[in-house]
Amino acid sequence: MSEKIYAWLLRLYPSHFREAYGNEALQLFRDRARDEKGFFPSLRLWLDLLADLAISIPREYGYVQPALIGASAQHRLGAGPAFYILEGASPRPGALLLGSVLSLLALGAFWVLLNQAGSYAGIGVRAPGQMRGDSRFAQPQATQAEPQDATSATSRAGGEVFKLDAAERRRVIDGAVAILKKYYIERDNAQKIGDALLVHEKSGDDDAVTDGADFAGLLTRQMRDVSPDRHLTLDYSQAPLPQHPTGPTPEGLARYREAMQQQNCTFETVEILPRNIGYLKLNSFPDVSVCQSTAVAAMASLNRADAIIFDLRDNRGGEPAMVALMAAYLFDHPEYLYNPRENTTEQSWTQSPIPGNRLADKPVYVLTSNTTYSGAEQFSYDLKMLKRATLVGETTGGGAHSGVWHRIDDHFGMGIPETKAINPFSKTDWAEIGVEPDIKVKAADGLVTAEKLAQSKLQKQQGLRSSRVTASRK
Amino acid sequence: MPKRKLDPLPSAAFQILLALVGEDLHGYGIMRQVAQQTDSRMRLGPGTLYSSIHTLLEEKFIEEVDLREDAKLGQERRRYYRLTSAGRKLARSEAERLAGLLRVARAKKILRGDYV
Repeated sequence: MSEKIYAWLLRLYPSHFREAYGNEALQLFRDRARDEKGFFPSLRLWLDLLADLAISIPREYGYVQPALIGASAQHRLGAGPAFYILEGASPRPGALLLGSVLSLLALGAFWVLLNQAGSYAGIGVRAPGQMRGDSRFAQPQATQAEPQDATSATSRAGGEVFKLDAAERRRVIDGAVAILKKYYIERDNAQKIGDALLVHEKSGDDDAVTDGADFAGLLTRQMRDVSPDRHLTLDYSQAPLPQHPTGPTPEGLARYREAMQQQNCTFETVEILPRNIGYLKLNSFPDVSVCQSTAVAAMASLNRADAIIFDLRDNRGGEPAMVALMAAYLFDHPEYLYNPRENTTEQSWTQSPIPGNRLADKPVYVLTSNTTYSGAEQFSYDLKMLKRATLVGETTGGGAHSGVWHRIDDHFGMGIPETKAINPFSKTDWAEIGVEPDIKVKAADGLVTAEKLAQSKLQKQQGLRSSRVTASRK
Repeated sequence: MPKRKLDPLPSAAFQILLALVGEDLHGYGIMRQVAQQTDSRMRLGPGTLYSSIHTLLEEKFIEEVDLREDAKLGQERRRYYRLTSAGRKLARSEAERLAGLLRVARAKKILRGDYV
């Protein structure tokens, strides 16, 4: 009787499952029923079966096996082009109608999206949110500022081509001069730079420029002629810049958290290569509050490696706190990490030594490419300067962004250094020039090269150790 | 249409791989072995068991060996399954991942005693 009930329940599974495993499921039921006699074992058996049905039936309906069913269909239809048939029965008229309506809706949405995308073509500046406020390293991708209601004469919608006139050029220059005087860290220079901008404007040097991006570039050059400060920039955005850039919203944070979970916090690969060389491919330095446990687990799994390779070839930056966390594993004492975006604070030092960590004296290799950027460059630069790592690959992208963003009007804004972190290693950092690798090879060859370097280093270390042992025995 | 996925490796699939280390088993044999190795904490029902077996077969982590009788269970012929070398590798990498987590748990001192 109970077997009949279970056989009937099995009919709730999709046909492909019944055909493939129906008999075996029934056989398994018989086996268990035979072995689990008595009231309580039988009760447990049925509770198990009901729980199993509740979990596995919806899952089975989620899976379709086009390969299996399609193969038999193709076999029937013979050679030549053929549709794969997923179910034996013809679709219901209702399903066909619903499918048609959904297709039309999808096409309509696609058309609307295409038109929208056309309106915002050609935007290529950093969004203000990336430079303002927090200490995150900016990502270099062109980012669209949120379009909003135009509030001044300089607003233009719909990607319309426009030309700057003298009044607007003057307004931008006045705005820039006011911001320089108020915020620029070097007060004397602020006055000189402002004066220079006004002199150029008066003498007609700017008159020929009517394009926004060209004008922003020209003003940046004029400012840097007076003060060669790579962090001082004037930027143009074709899309109107928001009046009050907002910080991350709870929804934004939730999205970030979800994205990080899906991508394993961008810890793409963590593995041990031959000869016990640890390999970590890290594609960003994510938020510590979200990804600390992932980082700790990754480093723990590499803890017994004899050497370690950090692959930052696809890493475009992230949070300085994560840079410091990862670097902390490479030292047995607190070490100063230079970060051009922040003044020296307690957080500028690594939290080394980390209890139980065995990587502090192991050889380190960092793989770089010409798209390694920002926070990833800080990691590479500091380890190189501290002579703690060998950089292998290409010169990095050169993104430091130590400026804080200030809005001038709807389309112009400027990045101004408001802090002056002391660089203990060099007069310049990697802004715009990038970090030079120790071993220059094409990014694609970086891993092979680093592996060879690590292997030969380990071999030498082993040779030294064994010769010491031999000497001490003598 | 979603495809069955083994990344991350579901617990049931990992237990099945472990059950097949060392000997070929039929479905009921796998179920009993899994119950034994988990102190009866996991009793795989037919739906979960054969769904997982199907996915593992598709990905070639296990293979069907033959149809034969199990003398202890009667005359019925049963399908036996065997772990492939890819399946063994997958089980090992999952075990290493769990060992890594265990190291972290130990480092954070949430386990009593040194060994578990």
